[in-house]
Amino acid sequence: MKLLTHNMLTSHVKGVINGYPLLIKATEVKVNEVEFNPQFVSRMIPKLEWSALIQAAEGLGHLQDLPGTPIENYENDAEFLRKVHRVLLEVEVIEGSLQCPESGREFPISKGVPNMLLNEDES
Amino acid sequence: MEGAVENMRREKRSKKDLKVLKRERKTQHTLLKHAGITTTQQPTQYLVVSNGGLGNGVSREVLLEVLKEGGAVESLLMPPNKPYSYVTYASVEDAQNAHRLLNGRTLNGQDQEVTLYLSYVHQVCGEVIEVAPPLPPGLSVVEDFVSPEEEAELLEAVDWTSHPEELTVQKELKHRRVKHYGYEFRYDNNNVDKDKPLPGGLPPQCGAVLQRCLSEGHVDFLPDQLTVNQYQRGQGIPPHVDTHSPFEDTILSLSLGAKTVMDFRHPDGRAVAVVLPGRSLLVMKGESRYLWTHGITPRKFDVVPASEDEGSGVVTSDLSNLTLSRRGTRTSFTFRKIRHSPCDCAYPSVCDSQRPPSPPSLPVANSDACRLETQYVHNVYEEISAHFSSTRHSPWPRVRDFLLSLQPGDTLADIGCGNGKYLGINPQVLSVGCDRSASLVGICAERGFQAFVSDGLNVPLRSSSFDACISIAVIHHFSTQERRLAAVRELVRLLKVGGRALIYVWAKEQEFNKQKSKYLKPNQNQRNLDQGSRSETMETMQGDEEHQPENCVSRSEERQTRLSVHTNRTAFASQDLLVPWHLKGGAKAEATPTQARVFHRYYHVFQQGELEELCRSVSGVTVLESYHDQGNWCVVLKKTQKDF
Repeated sequence: MKLLTHNMLTSHVKGVINGYPLLIKATEVKVNEVEFNPQFVSRMIPKLEWSALIQAAEGLGHLQDLPGTPIENYENDAEFLRKVHRVLLEVEVIEGSLQCPESGREFPISKGVPNMLLNEDES
Repeated sequence: MEGAVENMRREKRSKKDLKVLKRERKTQHTLLKHAGITTTQQPTQYLVVSNGGLGNGVSREVLLEVLKEGGAVESLLMPPNKPYSYVTYASVEDAQNAHRLLNGRTLNGQDQEVTLYLSYVHQVCGEVIEVAPPLPPGLSVVEDFVSPEEEAELLEAVDWTSHPEELTVQKELKHRRVKHYGYEFRYDNNNVDKDKPLPGGLPPQCGAVLQRCLSEGHVDFLPDQLTVNQYQRGQGIPPHVDTHSPFEDTILSLSLGAKTVMDFRHPDGRAVAVVLPGRSLLVMKGESRYLWTHGITPRKFDVVPASEDEGSGVVTSDLSNLTLSRRGTRTSFTFRKIRHSPCDCAYPSVCDSQRPPSPPSLPVANSDACRLETQYVHNVYEEISAHFSSTRHSPWPRVRDFLLSLQPGDTLADIGCGNGKYLGINPQVLSVGCDRSASLVGICAERGFQAFVSDGLNVPLRSSSFDACISIAVIHHFSTQERRLAAVRELVRLLKVGGRALIYVWAKEQEFNKQKSKYLKPNQNQRNLDQGSRSETMETMQGDEEHQPENCVSRSEERQTRLSVHTNRTAFASQDLLVPWHLKGGAKAEATPTQARVFHRYYHVFQQGELEELCRSVSGVTVLESYHDQGNWCVVLKKTQKDF
């Protein structure tokens, strides 16, 4: 699970109001090399919940001095975009779990795949 | 000077006493409120010991030892599953002594630390000792059936690591670990594939044990199927009857590594808990094999008889003779013999040979719908995922067009993404997929796509965060109108205002505009049975190579609601059906083509206009396009308003 995906995921446990963002508990994290496409990264930034990204990156130890809000004129800052690229697309949680911040319910991540299935009584 | 120190000491002591007193009052209140136990301040011979019960992990032995410190214990009653016990002392003085000494005492146990609180009660009830219930008919437990050396040898014979060329079939089930030898027992239909014996047979280490079973007269045949179950502490198996049709009478189960308690239940409600010591052989015959269910409760401690506590026996309700047994890792070797004729037991009401499972009906209630979809959609895709994925390689042109029409930087959610066929079509777009089938999602991950496992009716993605959604060949698997509508609503919820969704569902009308869909047209490359090399023309909704007329008997419906089995490559006779899938290839198949396993998938095929109407009934939505494409009804919708 990449952090870009994590940014979109939210808890859907019945009755939960503040299920975003999910807390990441990682036991295995990989950093892959992914082709850097600055335009793509640039276009992703406005679609993200930036604070959730920062929180997640920090939790995994991959914050690498990214700021609390995107810098001004980031579209033209290759260095900044590279850092964002790394955190969004290259850092991957392989094993661990995602935890609903309100209910505490944990969803396992195995081989990079989160299993978000709920039991009958939770949905 | 001394006086002051003395005062301080007294103060300190009384502070501690106050704390204990406070907790004791709280405990007494809890006892009254939750257990209906009235305590009294007036000393009696009888005390209730809170936090000293079988229900909170305190064994009889440990508690007795502590209570004896107070004085002469006349009786100790420990109700199973309760966090308290009743102790009767020989005299009121002994009870008072115990109260003074032990109230607030902490016990440091193996797993936990507990603080005991003692309170006086007027009387102790529950001294009724019932006669121990008999074992279910046909059941016996033979203790010390194997020696410790044999036990070790058998445990070592099981290799839990998996290899691709593994002879035996090993599955990681949700709870316990399972491994099969001889024949694979399948948990999706609770039956055995009798035509596909597993190569290798039973481990040679079992030979001596099996001979012993024969010579001691427990069975008059040599079993040819073995299921090894390994239960970690806290794991169990739900109550069940071993399916009648695949196995003969007399089932043998060897318990290795640890003891456990197995619960047996008769249909009339009678329940018997049987202790299975380590190295014992459980023999289930007749009524106990065919009628009573057996199961192991997932828990960390069992309540067992206190006397002769290493032995087997039935767990009674004699509160003066119960204690706890800590679970360990237990491995069971269950030996069975495969039947090759239908079961003819004396219990037809629970026999799958004598009462074949009735064909499913179209569900009305949501819970029935879930169950139908689990059996006839989810379980099937899990089984056929590899084969299915191999037949889903070519993206449909108009779906591709939709994806390529998205703007660079757009976000796309593929709900029901299957093997990820569409996730990589437009690399300029952020694509996230989800599917109900973990196997199929695994294939997406292998291909480097971002996907997760989820249900289409409750997608864990933020609302209004996607520029586009696609749902290709998904919604026709929902078995009620409400669920199909809910699926469309989920897609709309995910869309931003202005975002578009593309939905494809299988059409009842396979012929449209005088053009037959590829599904109906006979395939040019039918001879090519090789899984890998399929041509474009094979790419249809169904993916079968051949018309198989016999297995798919199209039954005429006796009752309105029965689901009929569809005959592949023919027109759909009704809207709700079971469509066969003939499984080909896969690791477990032989090299030469044999009779393929047939799976039935539930479909609701849509009539002309039905999908459009379904989409229009969602508020805040406009239908942009509505068309027929290769045997599918298709809709492009746009979200025009925010959600309410």
